[in-house]
Amino acid sequence: MKGTELSFEDLGGFFKGLLENKVVDALIMPYRVGNKVSYMLVRNTNKIVSPASVIFAPTFGVNAANVVKGWLIDEKVGIVAKPCEIRAAIELIKLKQLKEESVLLITVDCSGAYKNEVYAAHYAEIGDMVDCAKLKELESKGISIREACAICEHRLADIGDIVIARMNGKIVVAGLTEMGEAALSAVGLPLEDNTKDLERKEEKERIVAEARQQLEKLPKISSLEDLEEFLRDCILCKNCRDVCPVCYCKECFFDQPLGKPAGGDLLNLAELRGAIEVPANQLLYHLTRVYHVCTTCVACGACEDACPKGIRLTRFYPVLAEKVQEIFKYVPGKDVKEPLPFTTYEEEELEECLR
Amino acid sequence: MEVAKKEEFVPKIVGFTCNWCTYAGADLAGTSRKEYPPNIRIIRLMCSGRLDPMFVLKALLGGADGVFIGGCHPGECHYIKGNFYARRRIAALRTILKQFGLDNRVRSEWISASEGDKFARMMKEMAEEIKKLGPNPLKGKIL
Repeated sequence: MKGTELSFEDLGGFFKGLLENKVVDALIMPYRVGNKVSYMLVRNTNKIVSPASVIFAPTFGVNAANVVKGWLIDEKVGIVAKPCEIRAAIELIKLKQLKEESVLLITVDCSGAYKNEVYAAHYAEIGDMVDCAKLKELESKGISIREACAICEHRLADIGDIVIARMNGKIVVAGLTEMGEAALSAVGLPLEDNTKDLERKEEKERIVAEARQQLEKLPKISSLEDLEEFLRDCILCKNCRDVCPVCYCKECFFDQPLGKPAGGDLLNLAELRGAIEVPANQLLYHLTRVYHVCTTCVACGACEDACPKGIRLTRFYPVLAEKVQEIFKYVPGKDVKEPLPFTTYEEEELEECLR
Repeated sequence: MEVAKKEEFVPKIVGFTCNWCTYAGADLAGTSRKEYPPNIRIIRLMCSGRLDPMFVLKALLGGADGVFIGGCHPGECHYIKGNFYARRRIAALRTILKQFGLDNRVRSEWISASEGDKFARMMKEMAEEIKKLGPNPLKGKIL
């Protein structure tokens, strides 16, 4: 891990340098529209305007990894995003939905984010970036970060090719991989060894402790009745699937006749069982989906944000996924070399989970 | 109308067994005239690795009281490692089901082609277990 300190003003030069020196062919990074922050895919350096004011903005709209899902192209794209988004991108690389050598993953420190509409509405109070103290102050005013962010244990940038960290009012840019270090040298940044500073062990421990506390506070879905109640308002629009960065099948089971029965098939089912709920397969959809993403879910909470019925899906998908990740001792998005749990095995394991 | 006696609960168990071991084991149990409760409906798969956990969910949501999964002993898979993958999938699925108290309705066992005895024993055990648990709570519901 080698890198250097930068001032907030220099950050623009760094991103422009990446494009000018052909380190990447394009960048996906946040940009500001009035009070709002969205992502842009940028190729012309003139379009990069004061990035320091947006890349740390505590707002979450889409998961940037969802944008590049399935991009098996040779051009190199840099992604400047929060840790959960980069972790999703790493999972996509492992799922072969993204080429490792054609993405440059640039992880930015996150302090927790607000839903994008909340951020826009309260921009005057929230501002361009927040820290711990500010979060608490806003919380007392009733402006809270997303539930997924409150239970997030991975807010500090420590994955990807390059990290952009905020430390003591300064910015530290460091390369974590060879590709990242090469990118930094290519834009002319000095590579100093400051591995120790970037570890931020104490801060990490504090974040993990707080996140666990928040997780404990979440209402639990602990029985079938709870689950039915929880999903009652689901209209099976499948937005949660479409915005999920790690739900990637080209043809989803629930778009096929078996998963989405219609007409005569439905009548037959109703005949068989007396009555069935329509639209059909609500429970099967969510249970199958949670199984599909159980090892790769990065707990970004995009599903909850996308639910038109306001179902608090963070209490379902990430919470259940974590239990499964625990038995495989797997942390999604931590290491691109680590195999996915379902693609590997050990000869002796898990017997206690089978019966 | 009067119902003379409350009907005894007879569990329905859906069994997914691999072609090479557990299915043959069930066959052996039959040919060697072992007695076991007739609650299981076997669906033969070529390998326990063929089992998509969605099958299990579909069976449970469709009202099965229990789901049995049988495969070759680890290390003895006809396809070398199919059951290793199956084991991981089942473990993950049961972890999810555990949250809703459904995990004890899903059970997997490694039964070889020569273990007709074990198959009969497992069927007895499972039928008793499910009887104790009672009918699948999802059965009567409009799902």
